Amino acid sequence: MNRIFILTPLIVLLIICIFSLVYLLSGKDPNKPPSALLNKDVPIFESSSLYNAKDIIKTKDIKNKKTLINFFASWCSPCKIEHPLFFEIRKKYPELYLLGFNHKDPTIDAKKYLKDDGNPYDFVGVDSDGLIALEFGVFGLPETYLINEDGKIIYKFMGPITMDILKNEIEPLL
Amino acid sequence: MSSLVGFLSLVFAIGINFYLFLSRYIFKFQKQKFNLFIRFSSLLTLLSFFSLMYAYVVSDFSNYNVFQNSHSNKPLIYKISGTWGNHEGSMLLWLCILSIFSFFFSFTKNIEDNFQKLTLIIQAFLHILFGLFIVLTSNPFLVNTILVNEGLGLNPILQDPGLAVHPPILYAGYVGYSIVFSIAIAGLFQNTDDEWIYVAKKWSLISWTFLTGGIALGSYWAYYELGWGGWWFWDPVENISLMPWIAGLALVHSLMMVRGEQAIKKWIVFLSILCFSLSVFGTFLVRSGILTSVHSFAADASRGIFILLIFFIVTGFGFLVFLLKEPKKSNALNLLFINKVSALVINNILMIIATLTILLGTIYPIIIEVLYNKRISVGGPYFNSTVIPIMIPGFLLMSIAPILSWQTNQINNSKKYVIAFIILSVLVILQSYFLDFNTWGFVGLLLGFWIILASIIAIFSSYKIKINIKFFKIINPHVAHIGVGIAIIGITCSSVFQNELDFNLNEGDKFNVNGKIVLFEKIETTNEINFQSLRGKFLFDIEKNQSKEIEAGKNYYPVSKMITSEAGILHQWNKDIYFILGDQKNNEWFVKVLINPFVSFIWLGVIIMMYSGLIAVSRR
Repeated sequence: MNRIFILTPLIVLLIICIFSLVYLLSGKDPNKPPSALLNKDVPIFESSSLYNAKDIIKTKDIKNKKTLINFFASWCSPCKIEHPLFFEIRKKYPELYLLGFNHKDPTIDAKKYLKDDGNPYDFVGVDSDGLIALEFGVFGLPETYLINEDGKIIYKFMGPITMDILKNEIEPLL
Repeated sequence: MSSLVGFLSLVFAIGINFYLFLSRYIFKFQKQKFNLFIRFSSLLTLLSFFSLMYAYVVSDFSNYNVFQNSHSNKPLIYKISGTWGNHEGSMLLWLCILSIFSFFFSFTKNIEDNFQKLTLIIQAFLHILFGLFIVLTSNPFLVNTILVNEGLGLNPILQDPGLAVHPPILYAGYVGYSIVFSIAIAGLFQNTDDEWIYVAKKWSLISWTFLTGGIALGSYWAYYELGWGGWWFWDPVENISLMPWIAGLALVHSLMMVRGEQAIKKWIVFLSILCFSLSVFGTFLVRSGILTSVHSFAADASRGIFILLIFFIVTGFGFLVFLLKEPKKSNALNLLFINKVSALVINNILMIIATLTILLGTIYPIIIEVLYNKRISVGGPYFNSTVIPIMIPGFLLMSIAPILSWQTNQINNSKKYVIAFIILSVLVILQSYFLDFNTWGFVGLLLGFWIILASIIAIFSSYKIKINIKFFKIINPHVAHIGVGIAIIGITCSSVFQNELDFNLNEGDKFNVNGKIVLFEKIETTNEINFQSLRGKFLFDIEKNQSKEIEAGKNYYPVSKMITSEAGILHQWNKDIYFILGDQKNNEWFVKVLINPFVSFIWLGVIIMMYSGLIAVSRR
């Protein structure tokens, strides 16, 4: 019994070291998290519009069109930084469907935010309890997903997108 | 030139330690000669560190490290602190502090020569490991291959006086545990008398006091520099410093209470190994870049693997010696329902559970990512709802623990405590009922005030009041606990009763904060030596003659193209009024005002704890 107690720290040590070693050797970058969802079907969701609770968007509504999904909130300052870029995208790719999910935000704040900074989205879905973000595996705001015509997630970006990212990573996929 | 001196002296110092390490098996030394060598190698390590510092001070950009992290426009103090504001330099600082501890330990008297020697040999072994790590993977003395006249600047967020002193003090805490570790291992090997416990007590108190100061400085820095309004974020790096701190607290308590019980001695050895292991583990997590946090430095997998190896060797070696050479058990513990020993045991169990809970939350994301390739983050909600409840029974117990008896279940003057507790509860219930009820607020206030009250009752009813040094030494445990109580009140009030106000303002607007009229005077931009500053000037309480000026704004650092926020804080004894200047839109500035009640109590509590730590060092 006593022996086991003294052995525990060694076992714990071994476990920690093995996991850390695997982590380091697999060349993971803490700033680029993996996405288990990449190349998988877009999760099933259903959300009402920010402006009209009766206006509902469902997964099947975005089938057959290329869709850019962006999770944002009025309280998220990096979202503010990337916001103007969506107008650029809008202008350049009018056929791309821009779907914004307003994440855990009071409706008044969200509306004010989109009034002040402008609304680039074709549809703003409400995700007040964060359940949709959970389905998508959102790690932190903002996050952006590109869905192809077959309803598969082909690209994911964490954090505010920049001009470079738009040019080098998103546009080649459009 | 200074780089060459630095590098050579570092290599030479490692060489000497290697020689000393071998001396256990091959060359035999006299004690005097051995100590001389230890001190010489410490001085060489210091020389190496100061050579790097010199290169920073004179902006010697032929040194690659200086080129990467410094700039000739920086004020002198930040050139100096730039020495440890980067990965390579901070590892050299680590090694340097290790050497300083060995240096001072070599002067310790009243311990057996062989025991001292063995402790220092283990220190030499640690010096070799970390020295090789620096030389092989993180050499701060690399020569810059191109000729340049200017450096690339220092992370502007680190250009802050609080942060200039935070790393050395924090490291003194972390690395101080190396001595405690070495003493414990040497104790296991030699099975000497109990003299080592007194020596270990002194060093662990010193380390713990430094660690407390380092953590407090870090969180104070986060409070006014990051501009988020809080002072603790359960950031991985904060957790890493908290783990050895809590384990160290358990160690300090065990060391003070041990009266020859073998079981507690065994436990002390375990904690000593644990404290230093957690320190090295923290170094690994931060330096490998395996966890993202505000402290991220450039990550490099080979460094990570090297330091993981060091962690494995040190911790594995420590616990293996513990397994093989465990002290023999003889006398049993004198456990009663509530006496000093049982209080100590409960205290230790709680602290270890708290440490393990934090450890689990900190490494859980790594394990999940390896197993499932998913990224999760463990943050405030987990830690708040696990660690705090675990600590609560400990806080309740600490109010009376110092006056508990060794032999019996009786508590002197128990009536007084019961009455005091009832009165206090009624007062706090009334306060919560009439003001602002919040469960955590209620619990925190009750605990904080109870610890203070019970400690004061204990001081007045258990000792004769005399104003001399001896008296202060006797009541020191109570004083330390009063410090904890004050800190708990500060923590509770500032986190539970924080108030946030948002404004959109034009220059010249007046607005109301907490019943006081504030004038948003003007926006001012100025060019400083190494940054441009944008400041919003506010006049607080303009209806009175002595209105206070508050400046909040941002700094822009052109060299590194970074913007830092500079919160404007009006400190009052019972609250901080915390101004954050946001962005400008449609000629209106977004201003956020946070009212943080009793934040100053946190820092006051910490200062009292550190004072008690220092008093306890001098007490035998």
